Amino acid sequence: MNHSARVVSGTTSLPPFWRLVELHGDEILTYARRLVRDDAEDVAQEAFLRALRSYPRVTSGDHLRAWLFRIVTTAAFDHSHKRSRHGRMPAGETQTVVDDPFELERFNDLIGGLSVSAQAALRLRFIDDLGYDDIGKRLGCTSVAARQRVSTAVRALRKRLT
Amino acid sequence: MIPTTEWLEQLADAAIDQGLAEVTYAHVDTPIGRLLVAESDRGVCRVAFPEEGVDEVLQEIAQHLGPRVVRSDRATGRIRSLIEGYLLSTTKIIDYPVDLRLMRSPFRRGVLKELTKVTRGAVVTYGQLAARAGRPGAARATGTACALNPVPIVVPCHRVVPSAGGVGSYGGGPERKRLLLELEGALTP
Repeated sequence: MNHSARVVSGTTSLPPFWRLVELHGDEILTYARRLVRDDAEDVAQEAFLRALRSYPRVTSGDHLRAWLFRIVTTAAFDHSHKRSRHGRMPAGETQTVVDDPFELERFNDLIGGLSVSAQAALRLRFIDDLGYDDIGKRLGCTSVAARQRVSTAVRALRKRLT
Repeated sequence: MIPTTEWLEQLADAAIDQGLAEVTYAHVDTPIGRLLVAESDRGVCRVAFPEEGVDEVLQEIAQHLGPRVVRSDRATGRIRSLIEGYLLSTTKIIDYPVDLRLMRSPFRRGVLKELTKVTRGAVVTYGQLAARAGRPGAARATGTACALNPVPIVVPCHRVVPSAGGVGSYGGGPERKRLLLELEGALTP
C-alpha cells in the first residue's frame, strides 16, 4: 500500500548474530532464570533460535537488545504453558512476587491475548515488581516511556475484562 | 549468569542442525598466528589474519553473505584442521571448496580462480597471472585482486611475486609470505 513507509534494508546493517549471543547471552540467561528457574538454559536457547529464525527479517540494527528480551519473555511464557498443560508445575519456586504457580498461571492466561510488548510490560511491572527505570532498561526505552507502556497495557487489559 | 562453553556449543549445534546458520566461523592457532576461518554452505569464504580485527571481518561477512553468522568449532572442524595441517607441513594440499562471493568484482574473482591452478612449490608473476586471467598488461589490477583475496592460504595469493624479484607485498605482511613460500619449497630459507 504505502511503500514509502517501509524501511529500505541495506541502510543499517545488522551485526553478525553471534555478536548478540556474546553481548547479551549472559543477561538473557539471567533473565530466563528469573522466569523459569531450572529451565533457563533451555528457554534461553529456544529464545536465541527463535531470534535467529526471524533475524533476516529484522529491518534495523537498533533496539536488538529489547527485541531479544521480548523473545525470551515469550519463550518463557510458552515454556510454562507447555509445562502446565502436561500437568506439571514450573520447577521450584519462581523468584517473583506471584509465588504461587497457580496465580502465575492465571496471570499468564489473563494477559495472554495482549501484544507481546504489553505482556512484557505487565510482567516486568507486576510479576517481577521492577521500577520504571529498570523496566525501561529491560525494554530499551526511557523510564517515562516504560511508565506509558505499562499504563497502556493496563488500559488494554481493563478493556478486555469489561 | 555467564554462558558456559557447553551451552554456546549446544546453541550453535541446534542452529546449524535447523539450517539457521548462513556462515559458521571459528579460530585456529597456527605457526603464523591465530587465524579466523569462516565457511558457508558453498565452502570456505574467509580466512583472516589476526591483524584484521574479528569484529570488522564478521561485520563484512554479515553484510554480504547474511547476518546469521554462528560461531562453531564443530562445523568448521575440517577446514580448520586442513589449514592447521598445511601450516604444520603435515598436509600437502588444502582440497576444499571455496566460496568467493566476498570478492564481488568478476575480474578479481577470475584472477583468484586462475590462481587456484598455481600449485604448491610454484610461483607466478603478477603479469603472468594477469595474462592467464585474460587481461595481459593488467598486472596492477591483478595485484589488487590478490591483496583483496578473502581466502588467503587456501587461494594461494602468496604464490604471486613481482617480476623484478623479491617476494613482494602480502595482505598478511611480507614476512608471512616468505614463510609460506619457504614452507612450500618455492624459496630456500
